[in-house]
Amino acid sequence: MTSVARGAVRRLAAFTVTSESGNERVALARVAEAVAGTGLADQRLDRLKTAVAEATMNAIEHGNRNRADLLVDIEVTQQGTNIVVTITDQGGLHEAGTAEQPDLARKLAGEQSPRGWGLFLIRNMVDAMDVTTDGTRHTVRLTMATTTPADEGATRENHL
Amino acid sequence: MKTTCEAQVTALPGGAVIRLSGDVDGTAADALTAAYDQAVAQGDPESIVLDFASVGYINSTGIALIVSVLAKARSQRRKVVASGLSAHYREIFDITRLSDFIELFPDLDDAVSQLAAQAS
Repeated sequence: MTSVARGAVRRLAAFTVTSESGNERVALARVAEAVAGTGLADQRLDRLKTAVAEATMNAIEHGNRNRADLLVDIEVTQQGTNIVVTITDQGGLHEAGTAEQPDLARKLAGEQSPRGWGLFLIRNMVDAMDVTTDGTRHTVRLTMATTTPADEGATRENHL
Repeated sequence: MKTTCEAQVTALPGGAVIRLSGDVDGTAADALTAAYDQAVAQGDPESIVLDFASVGYINSTGIALIVSVLAKARSQRRKVVASGLSAHYREIFDITRLSDFIELFPDLDDAVSQLAAQAS
């Protein structure tokens, strides 16, 4: 995991979406709006948007099991030079953080489902992803530095 | 959820183009599958170009759909190439290793020219 610089915490947005398919696009747009003006480069913003959409989809489908009456809570903060997005569902102890590593060759051979890319994408899109649970609520914390690392553009496989 | 994905099929000598527009997500399954089947029925193409120039969003379920199309095409000994991906989605094709199996072209003209050269 990339180390997280500490600093003053500034809340940029806090909102909820209902657990209905498609609301990940709402979350993506709201987070993009919230981080405008923080200096996050376009390429890193695109990565953050993908990570937020995938984490919100997981929260809707796996955490809240598509129950429209359950909310996904999303908070966006700036902590020093980092943007931190937390996405919380009511899924408690679900195992969203331990999915099988996708292997495209195995998928093409029919040995693995074509699906299962969500967590893989999240991990590769952001600088750090942490998962916590209190037994009732399940939170994914995404961290993205507003500064661009010197090795940006290289493959992110090494972060796995 | 209603799909925003549309897929338009054009036959080429030895190939076919599937021009995608809208969102490539879980709701795109019917459009993409129907387009692939139409492309095959029209001319038994050796190569299929997936053009993403008018696609604004691809998510993990959309990646799974592309994997399924690629698997089907490979089982039928057809080549799949892609054009028009944004820099962000090219990166995702690299990370997922789709670009190991799908040659990427900057735009549709480049992809079609390449297929035409191979067909002649």
